[in-house]
Amino acid sequence: MGNLQRALRKEMWYLLFIVPGVCLFIMAVVIPLIMGARYSFTNWDGVSNKFAFVGWDNYVKAYQDPGFWAALGNTAKYALILTLLVNVFSLLLALVLDAFLPLRNVFRTIFFLPSVISIVLSGFIWSYNYSTGIPQLLSHFGLDVTSPLGNPDYALFGLILVALWQGIGSPMIIYIAGLQGIPQELSESAKIDGAGVWKSFRHITFPLLAPSVTINLLLVLTGSLKVFDLVFVTTNGGPGFATEVVSTYIYRTSFSSFQGGYGMALSMMFFLILVIVTVVQMSISRRREVEM
Amino acid sequence: MKKWMSISLGVMLLSTLLSACGGGNNTPSAGGNAEGAPSSGGNTKSEEPVTIKFMHFKSDFTDQIAKIVEQFESENPNIKVEIQPVKYDDYYTLLKTKLAGGDVIDVFTLNAGFNTQLFADGGYLTDLTGQPFLNNFDESVVKGQATDGKNYVMPLNANPIAVFYNKKIFKDLGLEVPRTYDALIAAAEKIKADGKTPFALGWKDGWTMTMWNTRDLPSNSALVEGQPDFFEKIEKGQAKFADNPAVKTTIEHAAKLFELGNKDQLGVDYNGAVDLFAKGNVGMMYMGTWPLPDIEKKNPDLYNNDLGYFPYPFSNDESLNKLDFNADASLAIGSKTEHKEAALKFLEFMSSKEGGDAWVENIKSLSYVKGTSTDIAPAIKDLQPYFDNGQTYDSQLYLAKTTIDWRAPFDQNLQNLFFKKVTPEQIISNMDDWLSKNHK
Repeated sequence: MGNLQRALRKEMWYLLFIVPGVCLFIMAVVIPLIMGARYSFTNWDGVSNKFAFVGWDNYVKAYQDPGFWAALGNTAKYALILTLLVNVFSLLLALVLDAFLPLRNVFRTIFFLPSVISIVLSGFIWSYNYSTGIPQLLSHFGLDVTSPLGNPDYALFGLILVALWQGIGSPMIIYIAGLQGIPQELSESAKIDGAGVWKSFRHITFPLLAPSVTINLLLVLTGSLKVFDLVFVTTNGGPGFATEVVSTYIYRTSFSSFQGGYGMALSMMFFLILVIVTVVQMSISRRREVEM
Repeated sequence: MKKWMSISLGVMLLSTLLSACGGGNNTPSAGGNAEGAPSSGGNTKSEEPVTIKFMHFKSDFTDQIAKIVEQFESENPNIKVEIQPVKYDDYYTLLKTKLAGGDVIDVFTLNAGFNTQLFADGGYLTDLTGQPFLNNFDESVVKGQATDGKNYVMPLNANPIAVFYNKKIFKDLGLEVPRTYDALIAAAEKIKADGKTPFALGWKDGWTMTMWNTRDLPSNSALVEGQPDFFEKIEKGQAKFADNPAVKTTIEHAAKLFELGNKDQLGVDYNGAVDLFAKGNVGMMYMGTWPLPDIEKKNPDLYNNDLGYFPYPFSNDESLNKLDFNADASLAIGSKTEHKEAALKFLEFMSSKEGGDAWVENIKSLSYVKGTSTDIAPAIKDLQPYFDNGQTYDSQLYLAKTTIDWRAPFDQNLQNLFFKKVTPEQIISNMDDWLSKNHK
C-alpha cells in the first residue's frame, strides 16, 4: 500500500505534465468527434438550426454512393503509389547522403528544403510550373507539353509528383538518423567476410533499419490518405473527378452541396477506414521487425 | 505535507486550465448581452463610437474597398469599420462556419438568389424590407433580389457578363461582331484558321467554366426551350435533365468552346487566360468586367484602342441574345448584430449616389444605385446601346431558388466529356442519377 502511494506520488508529476496535452486532445479531437458522430445521424444541411434524426440513412446512402467509392479508389491509388515512391526515394537519398560525400550537409539541406514550405504554396508553385514554367522551358527544345493537371489521365500522377517532391524530406531525415544508429562494426566485419554493397545492405542495413521503415510507412501512408490541401489548391478534385479524394469529396458534400449530416457520416466512415488501415499496417510492419 | 501540496497544485492548475477552456465560450455572449441593450436604446447611445465588422468577397479589390470605407468613416466619425476581405472561393464556407459558430458579423456581402435564401432560412439575416435606402434602386432590381417577398439584401453592384474581343484581329480577318451562336463559332473557326487562338478559357479555375455554363444553360432553358422554372423543379426532383433539351445544347456548346479554346484548356487558370488575351493573340474571352484593370496594366494599347465587348450569343435567335447583366455583390446585415443602426448607416452610405460613384470609380464595375456613372472602360461603351434600349436580362434569376449544387457534378462531367470519357447522353443520365439522390 505504502509502495503504491509512493509510486503514485512519483507518477503525479508525469500525470501533471500530460494534463494540458490531454485537455487539448479532448477538446480538439474527442469532443468534436463525438459531436460529429451525433450529426452523422441527422439530415443537417450545415447551416440551418433545424435538423431531424434520420437513423442509419446516411450510412446506407454512403454505401450506395458511387462518388464516395470512386473517391476512395483515387485516395487509395494516390496513397499507395506515394507511400512506395516516397520511401524508396528517401531511403536512396539517405543512403547516399549518409555515405561520405563532400558537401553532404548542403545536399541534405537542399533535399529537405521543399518540406519547409507550406503545401498550399507548393501547390501554387507547381500549378504554375506545370501550366507555364515547364512547357515554356521545354518549348526551347522543340517539345510541346501541356499541364498534367489539366488532363484526367495524368492529373493524379501530377499530384503524386508534387507530393513526392515535397514529402521526401522528413522520411529522409528519419532514415539518416536510423542509418547513423547502425554500428559501423557490423558492415565492416561483413566487408571483411566478403559481402558486397548489395549484400551488406540486404542483410545488415535494411533489417536494422526496420523500425525507421515502419514509422515512415505509417506516417506517409496515413498522411497521404488524408490528403486535402494539395488537391484542393491545385485541381480541386478535377478534371472530371480524376483527382477527387475522400477528403475533398467530404468537403464538397458538406459545404458545397449543403449536406452536413451526410458529410459527417462520410467522415465517420473514413475515420473508421483510416483506423483499420493504420492498425493492420502497424501490426504487419511490427511483426516483420521482430522476425528480422 | 508535500504530497498535499502537489495535489492541490495539480488541482489548481487543472481548474485554471478548464476555466480557460470554458472562458472562450462565455465572454462573447456576455459581451453580447451587455452591448445588445444600448443599441436598442435609441439615438442617444449611437453617439458613442462603435465598431462594425464588414466582411466581403471582393478580395481582388481590398485596397479599393478600404478607400470607399474610409470615405464612409470620414463622414461618420463615430463608426469604425473593421474590414475583412475573403477570397470568393472560400467566402461562403468561412461565412457559414462563422455564423453557425456564433460569430457576429455586422455587415457582409452576399449574392442575391440561392445564397441569400439559404442564410435567410437559417435566420442569420436582418429583414431590410421597407428601409428608405432601398428607394435609391430601381424597383425591379429590389424586387428581383427579394427572398420570399422580403428584402434581406441591399443590391450593390452589377456586372455585365459578355465576350471581350480583340477588334484588331476581327478587323484583319474581316469579321463582324457575331450576333448568333453559329456566327460566333464561324468567327472562331476563322480565327483558328488564321493560326490564332479563338477563345481564352482559363478553365483550370473551377469558376471560370462554371460562370459560363451557369449562364449558357439557364439562358437556353428559359428563353429557347421555354422552361424558366427548370432549376426550381430539379431542386424538388420534379424535373429531369433528360427532359430539358437545353442541357444537350449546352453540352454541345461546351465541347465546341473547349475545342476552340487556348492550348491546355484545363491547365491554364483565369490569370493565365487574361495574360493570353492581353498579349493580343486571342480573339475572344467570355468574362465579366473584372479583368479590365489587368488588361489595362498589361497592354494599354489593346485596352484603349482594340478592346471590344459584345453580349454572348447563347442561341441562334438574335432577338433573344440580349446582354446578360447580373447582380454581383449585395449587402446584408447579420441578425445578431449589436450595432444595427451603424450597420444601417453603412448601407445607407453605400446606396447613396456618392457611395455608388465611389464604387464605380474604385471597383470598376457598375452600380445599381440610380444615376451613377457607367464610364469605367472604353470597352464598356460597346454595351451602351443595350443598356439604352433595355436589352438586358439576368440569367441568374432562373437559378435563384436552387440550393442544390448541381454545378460541381455538371462541371466534372463536362471535363470528362472534353477527354472523351463520357458521351453527352451519359452526362445527362449521370446528372439524373445524381439528381435522384440529391434533390430535396
